[in-house]
Order: sequence, then structure tokens, then C-alpha cells
Amino acid sequence: MWLSILGLILGISLGLLTDIQIPPEYANYLSIAVLASLDTLFGGIRAHLQQVYDDKVFVSGFFFNIILAAGLAFLGVHLGVDLYLAAIFAFGVRLFQNIAVIRRIILAKWAEKKQVSETHS
Amino acid sequence: MKRKIFSRFSIILFVIGLMTAIQYNTINEPDDRDTRDVWEIRQELSREKQLHSELLSEVGLLDATLSKYEEISSESPEQALKDTVEELRGLAGLTEMTATGIEMTIEPSAEAVAFGEEIDYIAPDLLIRLVNEINRNNGLYVSVDGNRIVNTTAIRDINGLTTVNAIPIQTPPFKIKIASNSMEDTEKLYNHLLSSRILDDFYIDNLSVEISAPQEQVTIEPYAKELNYRHLQIAEEE
Repeated sequence: MWLSILGLILGISLGLLTDIQIPPEYANYLSIAVLASLDTLFGGIRAHLQQVYDDKVFVSGFFFNIILAAGLAFLGVHLGVDLYLAAIFAFGVRLFQNIAVIRRIILAKWAEKKQVSETHS
Repeated sequence: MKRKIFSRFSIILFVIGLMTAIQYNTINEPDDRDTRDVWEIRQELSREKQLHSELLSEVGLLDATLSKYEEISSESPEQALKDTVEELRGLAGLTEMTATGIEMTIEPSAEAVAFGEEIDYIAPDLLIRLVNEINRNNGLYVSVDGNRIVNTTAIRDINGLTTVNAIPIQTPPFKIKIASNSMEDTEKLYNHLLSSRILDDFYIDNLSVEISAPQEQVTIEPYAKELNYRHLQIAEEE
């Protein structure tokens, strides 16, 4: 768990310290990619908690979602339809659902633990 | 197994962190705000307009040269080229130039002489200011104590001696000759110099400046040395 947080901190500090910038016209794609990756991440956490985690699904989902979202946005720009909204909507809804499920699972686990400690005492 | 999962998560989180940071950098890029007020913009505009008119007059000049070439080329192209070279040498300061102009004599001020002070030095800064003042006011051809001021001229202190083109100038009194293209320009320059604050600056250094009335014929000496274009390169055509 701490390893993951270390990875996050490392990534953020590397990004901030190197001061990499992308052209503003591509900022849209990056924001969608960030959203997609967050969706995958929470999906992975949920799957892990539900004991259905699969390595291949997780990693392939990460890259596939990013590429799909960016591709959709790209297509939208060229067709003049705001297709990236579709990606934002889909990922947003799923993000909330996943987080809700994670919350329920953690709450359930917590309640279970409490019950167990109460019965023991 | 668990370890493997967390290593995967760390890699993904690393990528997410990196992307978020880059996005943050991109969005928070401070944009240069235009904080100039109307007056500054007007000044900028007037500068640009001046540049525009200068460029236009240059275009006119080059057009005239071109048409001259076309006229003469049938008769004697060589002569046209020689004329141009001579003209350019004149502009560069390599030829003697006789035109309307004024002469300035810089000498120790009467007060300094009365007090018995010995004035044997003129500060390069003062001389540079004077030359700039002259250049700003249509003084096209200038020589200081017989040293022609050209584009590459340096006025500076070398081992305690004030030099022009690396040649030490005499201790005051010495003469500065200025010529310009027309009597009108010369008169303007004369009037400007008379009212200029630069004379006060000279007085601070115990020097007085005597400016002759505009003359019909002032001869400016040519630049005595070889022009040094060590750092000049032919511009690439665009």
C-alpha cells in the first residue's frame, strides 16, 4: 500500500520538478487520459476488494481506456461533435459507482471487524 | 501475489501522478498579461509607424538605384557599379567628404585657465554623449580631432588616454567637425547644439565648447584605417 502512495508522490514530484508542459491544445486529451486512468485505478481497487482482481484486465484496461478516451476526443474534434463529453460522462459515472462500491465494502468490513471484536470481549 | 498487485498499482499511480502534474503545469502556465496603458501602446504604434516609413523610404531609395542600373546598364554597367561602390564608401566613411556643416572647438574653460588648472583630459563618456547628440540631430558625417566616426568607431579610455578609433585625441583644445546633407539640417543641428544641455556637461568638466556658425564648406577627413569586418557575415537569404 505504501509502495503505491510512494509511486504517486514520485510521479507528481517528477512532473512538477521537471516542469514539463504540453501544448495547450492537447491539454484536453491529457485531462481525459487522467480521468480514464483514475477510473481504471478505482476499478482495480474495487476488483481487488471483491477478490476478482486480474492483472491482465487491470493493465490492459488502463492503457485501452486511455487510448479509447483520447481517440474519442480526437474524433470528436474532427467531427465537430463534443465526443469527449461522452468519455467524461462514462468515466465520471463509473468513477462514482466504483467509489461507492469501495465505500460499501470498506464499511461492511469495518462493521464486521467491530462485531467480531465485540463478540470476543 | 499481493506484492505483485501493489507493484502494478504503484506503476499506474506513478503514471497518473505524472500526468496530473503535467496537466497542472500546463493549465497553470502564467500567461503574459498585457499591462501597457493606452499611452504606451500609442508610443509603440508610433515607433512602428516610424519604422514603416523608414522602410518605405529605403524601398524608394533602392528602387531609384535599380532604375538607375537599368538605365545605365545598356550603356556602361561598369560605371554604374563603380558609382555605387563610391557612394557606399562615402556612406561608410572611407572617403573625404565636403558638405555644409559646423565646427566645434573644445577648449579649457576660461575659469579653469584663470585658476591655473591644467585640463588635459576629456572623458570618453562625455565625448560619446556629444556624438550621440550629434547623430540624433542629422549630423551625418562627424570627425573628432581628425578621426572620422564610422559605424564601428569606439570611443574609449585606453591606458588613461581618451581614444577615438584607438587613436588618442589631443588634449583640449581640439576640433570636432560635423557635416550634413543640407544647409537646413546644419542649421537645425547648430540651433539644437546651442540650446543643448550637453554644453553644461562640458562645463562641469572645465571645458568650454565653441560652436562655429553653419558653414558652406566643411571638409571631413576619411576614416584612416582599414574597416574591420571580422564578425560580419553574409546574411542568408530567406
